[in-house]
Amino acid sequence: MSDMLVEAPHTIEEFVKGYEEGGTLRGLRCANCGFVTATWGVGCSRCGCFPLDETVLSPKGKVVAFTIQTVPGDEFLNDAPYAYVVVDLDGGGRVTGWMPKVRAENDLAVGERVHFVSSYRPGVQFAKDSESAPSG
Amino acid sequence: MRETWVVGATQNRFGKMKETAREAATRVSMEAIRQSGLEPKDIGYTFVSNCFGMSEKQGHMGPLVNSGLGIPHVPSVTVESACSSSSAGLHEAFVHVAGGFVDAALVVGVERVSHLDTLTATSYFAVGADYPFETKNGATFPGLYATLASAYCQAYSTRPEMFGAIAIKNHANAARNPHAHFQKEISMETYLASPIIASPLRLYDCCPFSDGAAAVVVAAKERMKSPVTEPVVIRASARAGSVTDMHDRPDLLGLPAARIAAEKAFREAHLEPKDIDFLEVHDCFTIAEALALEDLGFFAKGTAIRAALEGTTTRDGKLPVNPSGGLKAKGHPVAATGASQVVEVFEQVNGLARGREVPKTGTALTHNVGATGGSCSVHIFSRR
Repeated sequence: MSDMLVEAPHTIEEFVKGYEEGGTLRGLRCANCGFVTATWGVGCSRCGCFPLDETVLSPKGKVVAFTIQTVPGDEFLNDAPYAYVVVDLDGGGRVTGWMPKVRAENDLAVGERVHFVSSYRPGVQFAKDSESAPSG
Repeated sequence: MRETWVVGATQNRFGKMKETAREAATRVSMEAIRQSGLEPKDIGYTFVSNCFGMSEKQGHMGPLVNSGLGIPHVPSVTVESACSSSSAGLHEAFVHVAGGFVDAALVVGVERVSHLDTLTATSYFAVGADYPFETKNGATFPGLYATLASAYCQAYSTRPEMFGAIAIKNHANAARNPHAHFQKEISMETYLASPIIASPLRLYDCCPFSDGAAAVVVAAKERMKSPVTEPVVIRASARAGSVTDMHDRPDLLGLPAARIAAEKAFREAHLEPKDIDFLEVHDCFTIAEALALEDLGFFAKGTAIRAALEGTTTRDGKLPVNPSGGLKAKGHPVAATGASQVVEVFEQVNGLARGREVPKTGTALTHNVGATGGSCSVHIFSRR
């Protein structure tokens, strides 16, 4: 960007390309309070300070909450049922994602270890560590 | 600030409208103005809410409503705050009247979605979430609230019957509300047999997609004429926000915006939860009613989920909650919901809620959430 406005460490498009093409979850770290997030912004949603620094989020973490979506939105029409998950990443940052192989409540548990997987499909995708080995 | 009153409030039957949003909004507005004893020309500002107008290829609703009312020169603006749009409109009207900018204002919320298929409607409802960071990762609106329910069930001891009792209570109330989308009671067997939409939420945990329109007229005390109905004074009009993305909040066990708005409202009104006789809260899903009652300070964390099952929040209980049937059963025409909650307060006060009366109508609270709590309005009303 070359305008006079404040610059963010990365754009939303770069965040999406990061996981779709580079296999990387880009994040932001508050220089003041250390809060880490994947969600785009130019100021910290936790303490209100800025700037935010670029960081790379860990691809590994554990599930803190999930639901099995049986009635999906339009971009996941042929994928249901699948799990929508909230994941605490190792080293900081909480992100959401989906798990196409988890099709029933009994297939997943809160606290279960998961890892990010690159995919040609939309969205941040996770898989259970117990099903496939995490890379990196 | 000037004392500001609700002098008229009415709605149509929620469910499926044959008429367009524009027609419905204009007609309920005229009826609310008639109730108030005012005339359209007394309105100083119109606040219109209509989230999905583009589905009817129509935006800029304010001038259309005002023109239809015969007051084309009155200023208007569209107020959008997802599901809390028309309570945000009410807040704007309150600010304008209490601040002395106008003497009377019209608030109208309207939505028409029944001409959309379920998939399109589901996608529309999700636009209040964060598209690249929630929706694009597979979340639907029920899915986001199901995630909150998942966290709640993990933190506290719950049983499906606790969720079911909320749905049963609100259906029982809606069965006595001629404005309601669903005017039928349901049993625990029906609830438990309903399919899972987003675990642990079942079909009967979810509000419907509804069409509907609701209008509220507010006026300064000194400008009130001879209202047809008993006015109620607005004791507090508070709004707050929280991080849009639920997962970026400190925890998943409540909506910070609701807690902050409630604290502001009680402070503004010089009241406490024990002073409230009944509530209309934002129960887009059964879990949302429990979270609301905890965020508002009526129940300790982890306990409100049991309130309906124990009878505390039924119409004849210690604290009646959603005597209208709530979003769950009265219906949820997104931009009309906040104004509709005021209609229930108005009808309870005026003896118009026949068959679903609550025991005491001195002071009432409404709680209206935008999406998953990115925004929230809390209003407190009293009789004089």
